[in-house]
Amino acid sequence: MPHSPRSIALPFLALAGVAGVAALISNGLASPSRHLAWRGSVAAQPSFTVQVERPASREPMPQGHAIEASRPPASDHPAPPIMRLGHTPPPAKPQEVVAAGPIREITGPEAWMAFQSGMPFLDARRSTEFTEGHIAGAWCTPVWESDLDERLISFKAARRPGPEDPIVIYCSGGDCRDSHLLAAKLLNEGYDHLLIYRDGFPDWLAQKHPVEKGRP
Amino acid sequence: MRRLLLHPKLTLAARMILGLVFLAAALPKVADPPGFAKAIWAYALFPSWALNPLALLLPWLELFCGLALCLGRWIRAATLWISALLLSFSLALAINLARHHPVDCGCFGSAAPRSEPERLVDMRWALLRDVGLLLLAAQVSWTFFGKHDRITGSDSEGTSY
Repeated sequence: MPHSPRSIALPFLALAGVAGVAALISNGLASPSRHLAWRGSVAAQPSFTVQVERPASREPMPQGHAIEASRPPASDHPAPPIMRLGHTPPPAKPQEVVAAGPIREITGPEAWMAFQSGMPFLDARRSTEFTEGHIAGAWCTPVWESDLDERLISFKAARRPGPEDPIVIYCSGGDCRDSHLLAAKLLNEGYDHLLIYRDGFPDWLAQKHPVEKGRP
Repeated sequence: MRRLLLHPKLTLAARMILGLVFLAAALPKVADPPGFAKAIWAYALFPSWALNPLALLLPWLELFCGLALCLGRWIRAATLWISALLLSFSLALAINLARHHPVDCGCFGSAAPRSEPERLVDMRWALLRDVGLLLLAAQVSWTFFGKHDRITGSDSEGTSY
């Protein structure tokens, strides 16, 4: 006797149904760091282009040099902000410097200078990774967790960053894209001076810069 | 040969291996849906609106299919789901391998960061593993879909189809 399609279809659909109900219940009971919104994703943020401005010299900047964020004079077509390094920036070959955009990648020495000058740092990694260690004073803003918006609201309420104020964002370096996703989200919210620490927390650790541990 | 391939002990072993592998794969993902959403996103194959529903549903589907196979209930339906999932996973890996886009498999939850060459090697092994599991699923399907003398019900071992 051949199989009745119903004899397979019913348990087939039942398995999917049970999985759906279990997913609904477990997601409803999940902690914020394990919860996912059924609709929407941070990956839905619009794409953007990251400007990479490579310093002509890889020499670390001497201590005491300030990292300074500046904007060009106002014009009909305002250019994006640029970052100047130190009092006497090393001469850069024209072809090595790309006009900076609202989102720009920065190197370890630039991130260190940004840290020294008091710029806010946002950690886009998961909150568990943040707990295990993060850049001292960084804000925990895990881009894949559902309470990201609340965390960003807390950050904005505490630091009150203006749209043109620089914000440094980092994750795990390498091909980690969490910082880029967070930058896209902040760009969408009107912040247009976002600096992505390209090599991220592993580089910060390797340079033995200040880190903290503990709950976000 | 046919009798060997359809030997009940081989079928039981294939069913249990498939079931246990899917249980082991599901548990870390059930525990951390955001991590799995990130893993799916890295494949760059799905629209953003589909990421979170997939990350929430797939691990539970894997879990119940694995349980069904281990417990010997709804075997045909569970094997169908598992075959479909394995085919999808293999396809996703193969597409990303073909375009030299290294991704973390995400098959058993989040993995430690690795270099791109390491990831490409891992992807090849994961693809090979998925093909092996597909063969096991084919063996189970062959056994249970071949039982033309039943529509539903249980055999003497209490196994329902």
